[in-house]
Amino acid sequence: MLRTALLCVLLALTGYAAAERLTHGFQVWTAEGARRLEVALRPVPVSPVQIEGPGVKRQPLPRWLADSQSVSVVDFVYTRCQTVCLSLGTVFQQMQAQLQEAGPGDSAAARVQLVSISFDPRDGTGDLQAYAKRLRADPRWWRFVRVDGAPDRQRLLADFQVTVVPDGRGDFEHNAALLVLDGHGRLVRVFDIAQQQLALDYARHLAGEGAP
Amino acid sequence: MSRLPALAVHRVPWLALSVFALLSVPPARQALESSMSAQMLVQFPLLALCGFMLGMALPSHWRARLDRWNAHGIAGLFGVALLLALSMIPRLLDLAVADPRIDLAKGLALLLAGMALNLSWRPAGLLVQGFFLGNVLPMMAAVGQLYQDSPVRLCNSYLLDDQVRLGQLLVALSVAIALTWFANLARILMRRDGACEMSGRYELP
Repeated sequence: MLRTALLCVLLALTGYAAAERLTHGFQVWTAEGARRLEVALRPVPVSPVQIEGPGVKRQPLPRWLADSQSVSVVDFVYTRCQTVCLSLGTVFQQMQAQLQEAGPGDSAAARVQLVSISFDPRDGTGDLQAYAKRLRADPRWWRFVRVDGAPDRQRLLADFQVTVVPDGRGDFEHNAALLVLDGHGRLVRVFDIAQQQLALDYARHLAGEGAP
Repeated sequence: MSRLPALAVHRVPWLALSVFALLSVPPARQALESSMSAQMLVQFPLLALCGFMLGMALPSHWRARLDRWNAHGIAGLFGVALLLALSMIPRLLDLAVADPRIDLAKGLALLLAGMALNLSWRPAGLLVQGFFLGNVLPMMAAVGQLYQDSPVRLCNSYLLDDQVRLGQLLVALSVAIALTWFANLARILMRRDGACEMSGRYELP
């Protein structure tokens, strides 16, 4: 009986240790929660994947981000999307309206840009152009890019832990979120779609900090 | 176990290990992990079944040695309950899909759990069995209810309707296991009562 009790204690400790690791100290229960916590604790540098889009010539993403000298709020979309990307589009429209309202005089707002990245290989530059027009995107604030080539696309999605699942009806389900990248092109925070104000305020705060 | 012919007993561990190996090859993993319900309600039980079969084929002197660490099956069932609790954490399902090392660890843990279940169930007796199920089944039903009620996807790799279906199946499974166990309990108790009455009658002159 003593040995059984000993083994039980050992099992309990092992179970506790496993649960502790799995939940980052009982803070998160889902992979999405873990991703957001990990990013907040340790910023993720962007891999040099090739991007292009309307008004954006083919170049590595980190260089483009560094050249723009802006803090970016990024979302992942595909232009045929009928569900979550539409709400992301609305969120971005509202953020764009706020940035437009702040105007170029606001140095922090001027250094914030919105970026929609398509993960759908079917999306070409023309598709993005049409999509941007449909969403009334203002290219001063809101840019659309696509990632060139499947390996680069997979790499970017893996870097940012974006999981795309085909839903069997020709659409994709994905863990849609607002990703904030700092001026050095590092992913520093992931916000829920519902936290759009927080995401934008955070981005403006970062941009203000870095402003001369 | 003892009912199996000697030749079959020799084959059981090989059968169990080959099924386990088969379940671990990438195409099988991908197929069984393509939906949340399949991973939890088909792959998990199959992996545990391999362990259960290994337990069946365990030589009796090994079994006797292990029994010293597993009085009344308590340690074994406790371990199984812990593993079940861990596998209810949604992040585990996502990690298993994304990371083959985690998936292997999960498979081995389930193998051990199946073996522990085999070694512990009978020694546990009705009391320990009832305590084990009384803890594990409500947990399973509660998690099933959470999966059904959650408005958001808990696993990035799976769809929302899959999650709802798994929730319903978990609740149904916990009810089914409880009913089966209670039916068995009733049968045993009735037989025991019958035996008492019989012996009582015989005692009367």
